[in-house]
Amino acid sequence: MKNMIRNSLRTGIVFGIITVFLFLVGFTGTAANILADLLNNESAPPLFGWAPPMLNTVIFVGLIGLWAGASGASREKDVAGDPYGAAVLGGGIAGFVQGLLTGLVMALVGTLNERGVMMSKYLAELLPAAVKQAMLGFPPPGAGAFYLLFLTAAGALGGLATRGLGRGGRRPREAIRTWAREKVEVLPWVQSLRRSPAVKYAVYGILLLGILLLPLFAGQYWNYTIGTVGIYVLLGLGLNIVVGLAGLLDLGYVAFFAIGAYAMALLTAPTPHNLMWNFWLVIPIGILLAAVTGILLGAPVLRMRGDYLAIVTLGFGEIIRILSKSDDLSDFTGGPRGVPAVAGPDFFGLNVNSGIAFVYLIFLSVLLVIFVTNRLQNSRVGRAWEAMREDETVSRAMGINTLTQKLLAFAIGAAFAGLGGALFASRNQFTGPEDFNLMVSINVVAVVIVGGMGSIPGVIAGALVLKGLPEMLRQLEDYRVMVFGALLVVMMLWRPAGLIPSSRRKMEIDKDAGLAETAEEGRGK
Amino acid sequence: MPIQKEPARRVKPYQIIQAVTGIGCAGYLLYRLYTVLIGSPTYGTETWARFMIAGLILGSVYALIAIGYTLVYGILRMINFAHGDIMMIGAFGGYFTLEAAKSIPAGGSNFSDAYPFAAVLAAFLAGVAIAALSGYFLEKIAYRPLRGAPRLVPLISAIGASIFLENAAQLLFGAQRRDYANPAVLTRGEGWTLVINGAKVILPYTGALTVILSLLLMVALYMLVMRTRLGRAMRAVSENKQVAALMGIDVDGVISQTFIISGALAGAAGVMWGLHLGLVYHFVGFIPGIKAFTAAVLGGIGSVPGAMLGGLFLGLVESLGPAVLGISFQLKDVIAFGILVLVLIFRPTGIVGEALTEEKV
Amino acid sequence: MTVALETRGLVKTFGGLTAVNVVDLAIREHSIFSVIGPNGSGKTTFYNCITGFYEPDSGEILFFEKPMTGLPPDQVTALGISRTYQNIRLFANMSAIENILVGEHSRMRANWFEAILLTPRVVREEKAAVEKARQLLNFVGLAGLGDQQARNLPYGAQRRLEIARALASQPTMLLLDEPTAGMNPNETHEMTLFIRRLRDELGITILLIEHDMRVVMGISERIAVLDYGAKIAEGTPAEIQGNPRVIEAYLGSGAASGIKPVVRQLE
Repeated sequence: MKNMIRNSLRTGIVFGIITVFLFLVGFTGTAANILADLLNNESAPPLFGWAPPMLNTVIFVGLIGLWAGASGASREKDVAGDPYGAAVLGGGIAGFVQGLLTGLVMALVGTLNERGVMMSKYLAELLPAAVKQAMLGFPPPGAGAFYLLFLTAAGALGGLATRGLGRGGRRPREAIRTWAREKVEVLPWVQSLRRSPAVKYAVYGILLLGILLLPLFAGQYWNYTIGTVGIYVLLGLGLNIVVGLAGLLDLGYVAFFAIGAYAMALLTAPTPHNLMWNFWLVIPIGILLAAVTGILLGAPVLRMRGDYLAIVTLGFGEIIRILSKSDDLSDFTGGPRGVPAVAGPDFFGLNVNSGIAFVYLIFLSVLLVIFVTNRLQNSRVGRAWEAMREDETVSRAMGINTLTQKLLAFAIGAAFAGLGGALFASRNQFTGPEDFNLMVSINVVAVVIVGGMGSIPGVIAGALVLKGLPEMLRQLEDYRVMVFGALLVVMMLWRPAGLIPSSRRKMEIDKDAGLAETAEEGRGK
Repeated sequence: MPIQKEPARRVKPYQIIQAVTGIGCAGYLLYRLYTVLIGSPTYGTETWARFMIAGLILGSVYALIAIGYTLVYGILRMINFAHGDIMMIGAFGGYFTLEAAKSIPAGGSNFSDAYPFAAVLAAFLAGVAIAALSGYFLEKIAYRPLRGAPRLVPLISAIGASIFLENAAQLLFGAQRRDYANPAVLTRGEGWTLVINGAKVILPYTGALTVILSLLLMVALYMLVMRTRLGRAMRAVSENKQVAALMGIDVDGVISQTFIISGALAGAAGVMWGLHLGLVYHFVGFIPGIKAFTAAVLGGIGSVPGAMLGGLFLGLVESLGPAVLGISFQLKDVIAFGILVLVLIFRPTGIVGEALTEEKV
Repeated sequence: MTVALETRGLVKTFGGLTAVNVVDLAIREHSIFSVIGPNGSGKTTFYNCITGFYEPDSGEILFFEKPMTGLPPDQVTALGISRTYQNIRLFANMSAIENILVGEHSRMRANWFEAILLTPRVVREEKAAVEKARQLLNFVGLAGLGDQQARNLPYGAQRRLEIARALASQPTMLLLDEPTAGMNPNETHEMTLFIRRLRDELGITILLIEHDMRVVMGISERIAVLDYGAKIAEGTPAEIQGNPRVIEAYLGSGAASGIKPVVRQLE
């Protein structure tokens, strides 16, 4: 009982801080706007005297309260045969503490606002109008009291819901899983579907077809986004080899991306060199240059232990960016203004610059890179990389020349980035130093980590989630990077292997050839 | 004793490259030094003095931050990537305190100008306290659950925490750069005037404060690590966590306290940064953070005196380097990172060279 | 009889500590040779010198009369020396069969370019490698467990998998570092028989570090004793059991459990 109250108190404090934080960074208002879109109640008549924006704020805060209550109560198992009382109490306490914190802050902020203190000088989001909306038409102390009561009630309700929805104390997710396992998966046709490779290929085929047809219908803006996601898939697959397979943390991956992009830009653009080479000629040059740089950088650096490597590569990435930005080199690199009018590909005299054709070009590159990665991963080389990641010392004793293998991983990863960079510069018809800041490197690392280290579908999923999803949630743009940071932490805490972890190939037993018998034979020994 | 035959040592190609690069770099440096000092002097003594002063001040801030990296690395073998952002939080703590002091009327003007000592002390206390607290919670939330996970995992978590802190600060406080409201006697840019070569060289008050205070803090920390029970426990934990735990040391507690101490030092560095350089914004900790890490590596990561020396060295190199090498000041970061790469190639153990125990084979 | 491995005046120091102090050994081909000694007597350092992880300060190592001092570990493996570890060190997240395939690395030729093109040669090589890995799994008695992740295998199976992985590089000499550590008497007995099988069936020369005196005395043809990095005795099991210096070394450092029966016998 004591434990339970302590847990609920802690949950309440955490959620209280989160609620206050969301209010201070202005997310409450943004969430209200999103709710307005979702509920389509922008011009609805006021309810309980609240105009839609205020109503939506209340709904949003209430949702957090429900969540707080649910998680405050979810730790409580049945206490003395009375699951409901314990749940309501646990949720209520969590909600009360949350409400207390929120209410106090609201009352304070509201009072200051009424006295005409310009808080937005220090806390950027606390504009008078925003504070006024959060007061819900009450005087500040009243607003505080309202939040206290409202969140306590929401918390208790949330606590109750954990028992109500979960069918006798079980969590809903578990209930669904059990149902699927007991009722659905035993059906003969479901089993035969799961076994049949035809189904698998059909699903992949339909997915692939869908993706391939998408650019035709997506329109210009979305095609640009799809192209960006595609380029991030390229970068992710390249870094996947370095980080995911070989286990080398490269935080300066953007350097190779920049080299590919600058190769494309400087060799094909009219300024600053007026070389005007052909796109198709420059693509392999960009790839090669990036790979060679990878080897040159890697040779001294790859002898270092993991975290030194991270910081040195980070430094290298910054060096490349600072150099490309520097005025001293602007005759060569175009300096801070960058390089405009980068050439696009022409295809037998047909200019396919930007638009749909370019998206297909990126798709083609992605497929090529997936093909190469797949072949490498399932070869002697790929195994050596993974062995190094697992235990470098032992892999040396197994006859692997780790330095050569690391250089190879570095160079191939760099080559993919070079390809990505060349395509990126050409697609944008521009390249400049600010395209290559540290965030790009970190984004790509995140794509690999969030997706699943060493897993090709994982990288694709990671790029979609981290680069595609934010485009769909434009209203949340301000919060994107912050959420991204939090997401990295949460992923590491909750699922360090990523969204789609890499799966091990079955090799001992040929596919489908009497799986059961061999396993039994093994056990019989 | 049997006669020992010396086996034929194979000279590895890497060692040749190392030697050639080393000699090349050293030679070029000497050549440049000769050129700028004797051959065709670009700057007079007074300019060099200015560079030295700026470098020392910057270096002592780096040193303070670098100690935080070194302490945490020594104990957890992880780079606390968000350490620079803890410094940013400390800088904001000091900023708000000084703003508050400016707005309270006292002694004819305001509290800050009337009682500058108290105001600055309060700013330091606030900055240190909030930074120490952030350090504590950072460890508790983002690193502690990952103890024992593969090395990449806590590092990624640290990167995530860094991004989160930077952007949360931007959302909370806005993106604009804020001017630190120094008390009148500590106005930035004012200081004692030295006359060198007939030219005025200013030794800024804020700079002197920074150097002296950071030296004091470093000495205090060194005493703490070497002389106190906590220090002993910290060293024990950094040697071997299991054994330390068996000896009755509360390992989690020691780690927490390490984060509190390193956070506090970063907080102090943040307030110094604000007082001396003035501008504070959400991204202010990033570059100093990376530089300080460089400094920690330069000095030999895990070694407290190494971090101090590394910090001072890096500060000096950064402010003297562009002048010596005759390149633009835009490229000073390139020098810092270039030095990091060179040091790691030639002397991975750093200046002080507290030998990093090689991984047991 | 040919000498498989010979060390001449091997010295390795760490700072002030001399971990291996002028060690001369000659290990005959197809023999089982044990190195024993109290904890910290330099046995593992000696292994690390042979396998190329440490470069000896002075002295020479010859493998079938060819000098190999200072070769990096991967080239040592390529020559035909393979090893296991005191604390099992498998590639924990890879499957058992993949562990063995990594062991075959030095006997395979496919480079990255061929791997991308998947040339017929690579396909053939890969097929042969997987087949060989299956045979090795069978040989060490792990058939059917090949697709398990290494870390999910039981302790004894991990030991045997580690040996299978070492065998995959087709060594002529195998260095075992305490292969029976943490095993019960039954398992220890099985492991002893297995080590002998390695020698008898595969013709591999075995160098063994072991603390369990029953194992050492039971299967070794010759034994060398290290103390403070120096070789203090060498000979057949019977000679070693009667050697007063050996007993002194063990008793002096707190009497390792295994030697007790020997001591009692002397009294």
